[in-house]
Amino acid sequence: MDNHNNNLPLILNEKRIFIIRENIVKKDLVAKLVHSICAELPALNEEEVLSSVLKREQGISTTLDTGLSIPHARIEDLEAFQAAAAVLPEPIKDDYGLDVKVMFLFLSPAGPAFFSSHLKLLAALAEKFNPDFIKELGNTQDKSQLLKSFSL
Amino acid sequence: MNPDPAQGQTNKFKLKGVVVMTTAMLTFITFWKAAAIVLCDFGSSAFYAGGIAMKAIGPAFPWYILAIMIFAGPILMMYIEACSMFTRGGIFPVVKAGLGENAAKAATAAILFDFLLTGPISGISAGQYIVGFINSVLEYFNAGISLNGDGFSILFAIAVTIYFWRQNIKGIEDSSDKNARIIKFSVMICAVLVFWAVITLFIKDNVKLPPLTPHFTEASLGWAADIPFLKYIGIFGIVMALGHSVLALSGIETLAQVFREIEYPKIQNLKKAALIIFVFALVFTGGLTFLAALLIPEDLMAGKYQDNLLAGLAMSLSGPTFLKLILQFCVVAAGAVMLSGAVNTSVIGANGLMSRMAETGILTDWFRKIHPKHGTTYHMINMICIMQILVILFSRGNLYLIGQAYAFGVLWSFVFELSSIVVLRFKEREKKREFIMPLNFKFDHYLIPVGGILVVIVVVVLALTNLITKQVATVTGLSFAAFFFLIFNVSERMNAQKANDIFEEGHREKLNHIEADSLEKALAGLEGSNRVLVAMRDPENMYPLDTILKEMKDDDTDVIVLYVKPVEHWRIGKTGMARSVDENELFTNIILTAEKYGHHVFPIEINSNEVFYAISQTAIAAKVKEIVMGVSGSYGAHDQMERLVMAWGVLQNGQTHIPMTARILWEGREVSYKF
Repeated sequence: MDNHNNNLPLILNEKRIFIIRENIVKKDLVAKLVHSICAELPALNEEEVLSSVLKREQGISTTLDTGLSIPHARIEDLEAFQAAAAVLPEPIKDDYGLDVKVMFLFLSPAGPAFFSSHLKLLAALAEKFNPDFIKELGNTQDKSQLLKSFSL
Repeated sequence: MNPDPAQGQTNKFKLKGVVVMTTAMLTFITFWKAAAIVLCDFGSSAFYAGGIAMKAIGPAFPWYILAIMIFAGPILMMYIEACSMFTRGGIFPVVKAGLGENAAKAATAAILFDFLLTGPISGISAGQYIVGFINSVLEYFNAGISLNGDGFSILFAIAVTIYFWRQNIKGIEDSSDKNARIIKFSVMICAVLVFWAVITLFIKDNVKLPPLTPHFTEASLGWAADIPFLKYIGIFGIVMALGHSVLALSGIETLAQVFREIEYPKIQNLKKAALIIFVFALVFTGGLTFLAALLIPEDLMAGKYQDNLLAGLAMSLSGPTFLKLILQFCVVAAGAVMLSGAVNTSVIGANGLMSRMAETGILTDWFRKIHPKHGTTYHMINMICIMQILVILFSRGNLYLIGQAYAFGVLWSFVFELSSIVVLRFKEREKKREFIMPLNFKFDHYLIPVGGILVVIVVVVLALTNLITKQVATVTGLSFAAFFFLIFNVSERMNAQKANDIFEEGHREKLNHIEADSLEKALAGLEGSNRVLVAMRDPENMYPLDTILKEMKDDDTDVIVLYVKPVEHWRIGKTGMARSVDENELFTNIILTAEKYGHHVFPIEINSNEVFYAISQTAIAAKVKEIVMGVSGSYGAHDQMERLVMAWGVLQNGQTHIPMTARILWEGREVSYKF
């Protein structure tokens, strides 16, 4: 995936993109996406990363009414933004009853210096994944096409 | 309203209604308009104070009126100090803080006595000026008839009181613009009078300065006539003479009432207003009274022009009678509007004072009863106006009699309020004061208010002297004060439970609101070139608003204060944040904070199931350059900022991005992000 426009790369590849057709609960989907990232980054402790993401999920909701869910966490020792995404042609419900049609999970480098980039990424994702775009994604079967579409 | 296409879909973020809190949309006024409001009351005494003082102390009266107007300077400074401590000042809270509740009740009773007499004395005086002018015209045309001054004045005063009773029942608010126009007109007339009078002084060759020694009548000596040794104490004569002139100070209390409305920077503007008031009162009341004493022939001053001294000044100038008649007409016009304005101020002032007492639970609900149609406290307004009409009737239009009694309320309210300001220097020495009365010295941890103590000594001496010399004032004033003190205490006992509830709950502002059809329509009233949106939720945490208002240095920024009221299908997280708050308490505290800084705020309430979506939507609609909010105890600033940028991102919808900063503030800390 392209660099996102704040000097730090946002790493996303086809292996981290999923089209989910089976029934799945949000927590399991989060775990699946975290696993896909951690599988490529052995330095990360998957359990700790998942715990951080789920802990953040306990806070203010990361799901928008457009159908986009953006679970995320800020992780120590990370040098780039790492992402994984899932498209759900059949939406699942989040904890507050909102439909999740696309889940875009990302991990940011921790530390105050990266917080601004972290926020910028959140805003950019929220803006890009508008209802029309999400509908389009739902009809896309090709992961490479999805990867292309996800570029910010 | 239906500002949101998403409405109706339960899984969508939505705005369900926009309510603009019109009561809380305070408009703050310039120092000049604030000065004009005070002067319409304080300055109006120029029209009658000289005549009343002359009757009591003889030809020396202008010196004493002038001295009293100079003394207004230190008193105004004391009031500025009080205002710097209490945004919603006025006599009751200041005296309560300094001297306790009983003293506050007594002080309120005294100032109520002042207000109750301000109406009649002003109305009658206006009548005397009008009838004086009519008689001058009749004389000019050799009509051979003249109107009865007292009879006409009584009718005029009653008519004016009834007019303003009706206006106040209908709740038509006093306009500061109107006051400013009245004062501008009066300044113009004053300038013409002074200019013409100075020329006349040069033309006339037999002008003598008035004597300094006062000459008392038996009536003006009062009980002092029965204390023989007093006549050997020369200074006592001066004090008595000052006591008979002190009614010229009536109306200064209005400064404390108007302070809450003064715009940013409040204290600096208050100082400017006080300076204008001081100079105007010195020239208008002190100067014109002095010129009147110099130019009006003694027999006319003590007779024809006793109750319309400034009209007498106009008619005693050198020049053609016709021109003098025109000038007299202008003086009468200025006097009639200024004095009538003072009648209105007295009703508003007394009603406001009693409302403040009622809000604290001291007065029963009967006093607070709201007019079913107009929403005004009509029981109190009725009571005040009935009492004023009774005073007019019982006094039979005798200005001197009312003037004698009048000083009681003026002086004793000063005694309580100014003493309280001095006591507060010791009692609340840590409390922040942006201004302090000059002449202080440091002792231990205290700033000893030498200047303040001297002012208090003067007013106490004057008040005690007046107790002896002004029999009418002492008897009527004490009776009235005792009557109202009793009413306050009995009413408070009857209302004990309610008072306790009010104390527990804290002060609540009466809020009016209008529902807007759309967010855009709700925000249509914004005029500033810069806009800041402050999202508020916790009535106990005014920190974000406080910080923004403190930082604001210009008048061109609109501060939109937004409360997002949670509705069903709350979408963003744990239930804590969805909990609804006491809106009345929240908006009351918003009003009080805005008043503290004198900045206009635009408070709105939006019902929504997503607070950050509502904030972002409002920010976009209002084109704000800054969103400010407090930190949430449930989530923390980072989570809040994340959600805000997400909501902002959703709403961009490919539009051109407007540069905007989001700030989350809490004690000494801040998380900010520039979009």
